[in-house]
Amino acid sequence: MRLAFNEDQATFATVLAQMLSDDTEAGFRTVDGWGRFDYGHALDARLEEAGFFDAAREDDLGAVAAAAMVHEVAKAPVVIECAATALLRPFLGQELPRPLAVRVDDAPGAIRFLPQARSLLSITDAGIRWAQIEGRGAPVESLYAYPMGMLDDAPDWQPLDVDPNAVRTLWQVALAAELGGALAGGLASVLEHVRERAQFGRPLGSFQGIQHRLAEDAVWIEGAQLLTLRAADSRDPADAALALGHLQSHATRIGYDLHQFMGAMGLTLEHPLHRWTYRARALRAEMGGAPQALLDYADARWDKR
Amino acid sequence: MDFAWSAENDAFRTKVCDFLDSELPADWQSIARHGPGSREQTEFSLTFCPKLADAGLLVPHWPEKWGGADRPTWEHFILGEEMWAAGEPRGGQYMNVNWIGPVLMRYGSEEQQARYLPPMASGRAIWCQGFSEPGAGSDLAALRTRALRDGDDYVINGQKIWTSYAGMAETCFLLARTGEGREGIAVFLVPMDTPGIEVRAIPSLIGHGDIHEVFFTDVRVPTSCRLGQEGEGWNIISYALSNERVGIPRYEMSSRELDAMVAELKARESFGNAIVRSKAAEAAMACESARMLVYRVVDERARGEPPGTAANLARVAVVEADHKVTDFGMDFLPDCFSGDGHPAFQAHHERAIVTGIAAGAAEIQLNLVARRHLNLPKGA
Ligand SMILES: Cc1cc2nc3c(=O)[nH]c(=O)nc-3n(C[C@H](O)[C@H](O)[C@H](O)COP(=O)(O)OP(=O)(O)OC[C@H]3O[C@@H](n4cnc5c(N)ncnc54)[C@H](O)[C@@H]3O)c2cc1C
Repeated sequence: MRLAFNEDQATFATVLAQMLSDDTEAGFRTVDGWGRFDYGHALDARLEEAGFFDAAREDDLGAVAAAAMVHEVAKAPVVIECAATALLRPFLGQELPRPLAVRVDDAPGAIRFLPQARSLLSITDAGIRWAQIEGRGAPVESLYAYPMGMLDDAPDWQPLDVDPNAVRTLWQVALAAELGGALAGGLASVLEHVRERAQFGRPLGSFQGIQHRLAEDAVWIEGAQLLTLRAADSRDPADAALALGHLQSHATRIGYDLHQFMGAMGLTLEHPLHRWTYRARALRAEMGGAPQALLDYADARWDKR
Repeated sequence: MDFAWSAENDAFRTKVCDFLDSELPADWQSIARHGPGSREQTEFSLTFCPKLADAGLLVPHWPEKWGGADRPTWEHFILGEEMWAAGEPRGGQYMNVNWIGPVLMRYGSEEQQARYLPPMASGRAIWCQGFSEPGAGSDLAALRTRALRDGDDYVINGQKIWTSYAGMAETCFLLARTGEGREGIAVFLVPMDTPGIEVRAIPSLIGHGDIHEVFFTDVRVPTSCRLGQEGEGWNIISYALSNERVGIPRYEMSSRELDAMVAELKARESFGNAIVRSKAAEAAMACESARMLVYRVVDERARGEPPGTAANLARVAVVEADHKVTDFGMDFLPDCFSGDGHPAFQAHHERAIVTGIAAGAAEIQLNLVARRHLNLPKGA
């Protein structure tokens, strides 16, 4: 049992943090036409060039470093496709072109990252398939702070020879890492706000009614982050469902708190809060949301009868 | 990062479990049912802890000089998990092992160490902790019990409350005032048979004889009973708390009781219901989240890092876990909380309702998380 990064993971995290602290590539800027998301092309290219998306393939970094990276990247106001590339692609036995969009159980409707995606991965109990879709995902308007797209016609599916359950587990870990990061990014932004903004002659963050809710949010987010890293390490179905279910269950209350304490400012497109909270809203419903993750966990831990 | 136990850790856990299997009597649950502070459990600890000591499992993390084996932090923690999950057969002696002993090693005089540490290490010492008072609960520094210097003695007057184990304790780790403010607090090691001490049990929801009022009327003790210097009391309890930072590994018992509740529901063919399963999963998630947050604190300590705020987050999570499990039981197995059918569920309930109050209320932990961990400004 050792909950600190090993030397390679620590170096990886430090270099990643440096890249993410570059405001020109990862920071907040408004988007023409008041778009709700800002795809971080420069950050994406930098991570790709430096080989960061392949962390899970390296013995000394592994899926733990990949999950930690997904979490950290999701804390940035810009959005990039990271989760599927970092946590699924290394385990698919084939080098799929990225960015990667993912559809689970043939869920209807728009798919995250489809407009950018060069590959679409389909996860169902029947098997794992992929299709090269270069440029065929038509962008759609959406409430969520992701590029969302619809397929215009049926893609040319190719089967992948991997265990669907293993891929499903990895995708739960990836979603947990991204959701945890989005909530942590939103929390950091709100903390900064309530430390500075004064009403009734004192900073908002000095009111105990606000302190306790944000403290509880921090406990859930940090607990879930550890559960996510544990799931990345074990790749055990119960651990993965647990991490995702924990975050999906608490995301509603955390998202509510974050918007409440930002006041009207949080409703503007001039402030980045929505970049995190509207990603979290999309992620908390993925794979059936908390109700499904909870049942997955119960089944994995206790089986039904 | 490595989330798996080492082979050595596993072997140690097996050793502890084997010991518990062979040494806990068949009627142990009916003893444990009375609660860790009860007369029944305290009496039991006086035969059980010496056996633990003989097996090298009472104070393995203590230095050899004091009967330990300098074993690593994680082993001490594994021991705590298994003991608590079994219903804490060490009773109040867990306090000696976790913090009273280590505090005496650091601050005690040679005479105090020689007098008190060997009985602790052999499993034959019952202590109580005299901190809280009617006017000083969360705000402990408001305590009023006073120790007045009179020649080579101190004369103590005042009242303590909620004192666990006081009914059978031989010695009280007492906080009393020798001056004003935080700097005016000192620690005294007071034999409970000193004239002028009166103990009254408080009837409670958590078992009879668990918590007490302790009255001190003109209690005369020699200055050699003082631990450290006058005014050093606050530092001493800060050190004690840092040794006891994560408190009791409560999620371990909660998690195992939850498994037992699920087994009972399965036996009744009620676990196929999706609502029941998802509520069980929610409770389990709270336990596992608490577990990871607690492990983070233990890991920091094992790596020799100074105490930080991780312990405050862990304690908040532990409260949620304990409550979620007992509430799950009461919601879906309400009949198990009457009669004698399920003493372990009832015992867990009594431990769970204490979690957010004893040893620093959950809300105090949230204050600390907000201010020290999230760097939010202090309130008005
Ligand atoms: C089973 C049990 C065993 C115990 N054993 C011992 C023992 O052996 N020795 C000993 O010395 N003490 C013992 N205690 C006492 C324990 O330490 C106190 O109960 C605890 O410190 C809280 O104090 P209080 O009960 O006076 O609550 P109070 O301080 O009156 O507070 C009541 C509630 O108010 C809220 N609150 C208080 N202050 C704040 C604040 N600043 N911000 C927000 N909310 C706040 C919290 O919700 C708190 O629970 C025991 C308690 C229990 C329940």
